[in-house]
Amino acid sequence: MKIIFKYVKRYKGLCIFTLLFIVFDVVGALLIPTITSDMINIGVGSKNLDYIYQKGILMLVVTIMSGLGALLGSYLCSKLSSNIGRDMRNDIYKKSLDFSYTNFKQFGTASMITRTLNDVNVVQQTFISCVQMVIPVPIMFVSGIAMAFSINHQMGLLLVFVTVIIIIAAIFITRKATKIFEKLQRFLDKMNVILRENITGVRVIRAFNKEEYEEERLKKSFSEYADSAIKANGLFAGLDSLAFFAINLCIVAILWFGGNQIGVGNMEIGDITALTEYAILILFYVIMAQMVIILLPRARICLKRINEVLDTESEIKDGKDAKNIKRRKNPIVIKFDKMTFKFDDADENTLENISFTCKRGKTTAIIGSTGSGKSTIAKLIMRLHDVSSGSISLNGQDIRNMSQKSLRDHISYVPQQAWLFSGTIRDNLRYGNENATDEEMMHALDIAQAGFVKDLEDGLDTHVAQGGTNFSGGQKQRLSIARALIKKAELYIFDDSFSALDFKTDAALRKALEKELTTSAVLIIAQRISTIVNADQIVVLNDGEIVGVGTHQELMKNCKIYQEIAKSQLKGGKNGK
Amino acid sequence: MANKSKNLKRQAKTIKRLLKSVRQEYPRLIIVFISIIFYTVLSLVAPVYSANIVDMLWNHIQDAINEGVKFSITWQTGGREILILLIIYIATAGLYTLQKFLMTSFSEKLSLSLREKISHKINKLPLSYFDNHKKGEILSRATNDLDKMSEALQTGLLTLFTSIGTVVGSIIMMIYFNIGLTIVFLVFMIISMVLTKTFTKKTLNYAIERQNQIANLTSQVEEAYTGRIIIKSFNQENNSIESMRQVTEQVAEATRKADFMTNAINPAIRLVNRLGQVVIAVFAGKLLIEQKLTVGVFQAFFQYLNQASEPLTEASYMLNSLQSALASAERIYNMLDEKEITKDPKNPEVVENANGEVEFRNVSFGYTRNKTLMKNISFKAKKGQKIAIVGTTGAGKTTLINLLMRFYDVNSGEILLDGYDTKKLTRENLRNNFGMVLQDTWLFEGTIAENIAYGKPNATREEIIEAAKMARVDFFIRTMPDGYDTVLTSDAENISVGQRQLLTIARVILCNPSILILDEATSSVDTRTEIEIGKAMENVMKNRTSFVIAHRLSTIVDADLILVMQNGNIIEQGTHKELLDKNGAYADLYNSQFA
Repeated sequence: MKIIFKYVKRYKGLCIFTLLFIVFDVVGALLIPTITSDMINIGVGSKNLDYIYQKGILMLVVTIMSGLGALLGSYLCSKLSSNIGRDMRNDIYKKSLDFSYTNFKQFGTASMITRTLNDVNVVQQTFISCVQMVIPVPIMFVSGIAMAFSINHQMGLLLVFVTVIIIIAAIFITRKATKIFEKLQRFLDKMNVILRENITGVRVIRAFNKEEYEEERLKKSFSEYADSAIKANGLFAGLDSLAFFAINLCIVAILWFGGNQIGVGNMEIGDITALTEYAILILFYVIMAQMVIILLPRARICLKRINEVLDTESEIKDGKDAKNIKRRKNPIVIKFDKMTFKFDDADENTLENISFTCKRGKTTAIIGSTGSGKSTIAKLIMRLHDVSSGSISLNGQDIRNMSQKSLRDHISYVPQQAWLFSGTIRDNLRYGNENATDEEMMHALDIAQAGFVKDLEDGLDTHVAQGGTNFSGGQKQRLSIARALIKKAELYIFDDSFSALDFKTDAALRKALEKELTTSAVLIIAQRISTIVNADQIVVLNDGEIVGVGTHQELMKNCKIYQEIAKSQLKGGKNGK
Repeated sequence: MANKSKNLKRQAKTIKRLLKSVRQEYPRLIIVFISIIFYTVLSLVAPVYSANIVDMLWNHIQDAINEGVKFSITWQTGGREILILLIIYIATAGLYTLQKFLMTSFSEKLSLSLREKISHKINKLPLSYFDNHKKGEILSRATNDLDKMSEALQTGLLTLFTSIGTVVGSIIMMIYFNIGLTIVFLVFMIISMVLTKTFTKKTLNYAIERQNQIANLTSQVEEAYTGRIIIKSFNQENNSIESMRQVTEQVAEATRKADFMTNAINPAIRLVNRLGQVVIAVFAGKLLIEQKLTVGVFQAFFQYLNQASEPLTEASYMLNSLQSALASAERIYNMLDEKEITKDPKNPEVVENANGEVEFRNVSFGYTRNKTLMKNISFKAKKGQKIAIVGTTGAGKTTLINLLMRFYDVNSGEILLDGYDTKKLTRENLRNNFGMVLQDTWLFEGTIAENIAYGKPNATREEIIEAAKMARVDFFIRTMPDGYDTVLTSDAENISVGQRQLLTIARVILCNPSILILDEATSSVDTRTEIEIGKAMENVMKNRTSFVIAHRLSTIVDADLILVMQNGNIIEQGTHKELLDKNGAYADLYNSQFA
């Protein structure tokens, strides 16, 4: 709950005015019956028509004041809640960018999206309901009771008595409701999961003849949900009925006791109307608040989920000394020194005792099977993970001692899954260098063998759909290579970035790269041997350990795993069986 | 206009069907209906009665003052009437509670029965239905649509009936008490109705705008989270935060407007109603002075006025939500009315533990009736052979498998298993003979062991481990926190695509089917592991027919028969050597993969 106050605090003025208008609304609502009863008691009693008109005008003023208060109040409240929602989203997003790879994976993309969108939305809507339905309650309660007391002590006590009973019942029901609603939410999630599985897995289900089993599974989750929905709705119905009953009882009590009070001259006849209205208003507000409070647990869960994101400290922090990195001096660009890496939740090291160097002007390749830890090496260089022991240094300086920004300034990266942003090709290329000219862009596209852009009607301004879906896998890869080439870096990392290219394009691209990147180090992570045969140095990884370093020819002689990989990829027809 | 009456007709039809499907709940509905009638009558009677009591009390008090004695309520001077009023109120509250509870379980039971129908229907729908409908769309029918309907039925129906009864009754009573004041009330009522209508329209527009902005934000957020590594590696954090800020600001703007509109409608209408009350109060005061009105009647009139003004807005709101509930119900019925797969034959042939002879004989097929994809395809797989299917994306490789498994039925021609037309078998019997691994790996929320044992729920742990070992995934499973009992989450981000593929392979190995189908089953596994799995599979599949779709040709060069597909048709077939010698499409494909 604290977190919500943190955000509300930013808008003190807005809060004060919202509250003020709510007070206007509530007090106005209570004043109207009071004035009506005055009008009848005094005006009718003394047969004074002018007094009635006077009171009529007063009533008009109060009505308009209270109505405007309600309207302005709900305007300010919407503004407040939408500001809070916006701020939360901005903060979540900002935080997410600080996260390391592991931090982010902890939540998962889908969950992060839900947190940013739905959870914030639920919090926002609940906030509005609270401000509009819960905050007026104490105001209504205090001023309503006060007015009742000012008419007659006994009547005041009667109202206090009835309200307290309702509040006690409400607390009791809320306790029960929390559990029921948590259960309901769980069953709803389960129902969604099973349904989704049934739809996405329709082929598998049918292939395994599991239709009946799945139908039973669905039915079970449906009836679980229905059972607890009936319980939850029953709770609402119970609360509703209880309130209805209490109001009616209260009206009768007012008639009885009020009649006696009038009889002894402590009260006027018109006061009965006023008291009845107070009772109805107070109870009405308490019930409305109750409906909101029942739904609070759900919002609390959302808030907790948002808080989890905001509270997570990124495991990767900038080093203090950030600026003094010399460019293009050191012949060894990247050096792994007895580096070991283990995921926090894993039992075994993902990478163990890794030592190798990437030299300026040379190409280093890493090859290994799925899960051998190849891609993790790229992520470690970029400091999306931190090493567990040993070190990685850039230009002779431990990468943990520099800022992440300046580290990444020196590196250009092409990911395994080519990813383009929606916008234009030009927008995407500018990611590499904001000031790149068209010539530079075309040059980079040429090297990346992405000449097809020239043939597009809109050229560099061609629209890129979300996820780059309007380009083929190979085109996306070449565009993301071009994007990386536009950035002037000392180390270029290609993380399995040639997989969607056919052999001819692959070869042409590598040749062009060799010519272009003479003053930088190149690191290629690959599965295809043909991609890396010409590398100056090949590092062979197996189960997280280096099992061979050398050129293709050397490794073919002395590295068994490398030979196996090579064999598996050679032309089966001739060299296989 | 014609459109409108058509709409009404359709709605009437849906209502009829809904009523029909709750036939066994009729007694309950009848009780609710009777209860509503009594409730409405009682809640109309109560204010008159209480007005009479107030007037009576007033008279007794006046008398007492005139006689110079103090007044207190006794059985004769109002006590009896107050008790009767209490009974009336208790009865009203009792009826209200009764209706509420009866309707709660009614609407949930109705949606449960529809959901059960859906769960049955899902298994009977042809696959083309799933191809043509978005996942989210089907999902939301069974969840949101039904929840909406149930909610609307639960509160909506009751509110609608009682509101109409109360409003009509109240107005009649008000007219009976004082026609002049009633006219004033009606004027304000019309104003508030007009106001409601304009507000609703505006609210709808703002809600649409808000929805658009949120959709915009959604795509931005999705993109940013998916591409976050790129954003970070190019040091674009600040730019990205800035553009996110712009979108969240737009959302906030739209939300503010939409929320305000939704929240302002009630205060606005209340304002109009209260203005009406002010005017009526002043008029009534005048009438009171002129003694044309008693205090009790004045009070009763105000109670009716309150009773009539609130339900009116509620009723119009409920009418809207009931309409959308009907629309939801209609969408569900549309789904339930979808054409089902053809029934299995009554006296089917049975093929147990098939030899594995498969033949396509002049098969033609199209996903839509008027567009034939596959024309006159024939080939024959002998027992124990490895059949490879190659071709570019969209060439129809998966279609061939879909037909073989009878996910779709052929337009003409026949597919034979061990000499029997597959149409003459039950689908269950047919599919029992096949084990299939798809490129699109499907795992459900459950433990790894449960996922592997999906096709053989009674498998022992040893069998499961054995299958996992064969699929080369045992080691990986052991590194997971809870080993074989590790729970896979629905988005399964805890394991990679390659590992998912291996798990699905283990699942099929455990089933020990007569014929194996591998549809790009190892596409996300590296070449070395692929060959290892291939070797393991060789043992499993010895003497069994297998169909393999692969984009890496190195895995299929040893196939007994290679089918080369293009645009839905088989353009070449033969062994690797034959096809290379032919120097046709296959040779082209092969040479493009190996430089």
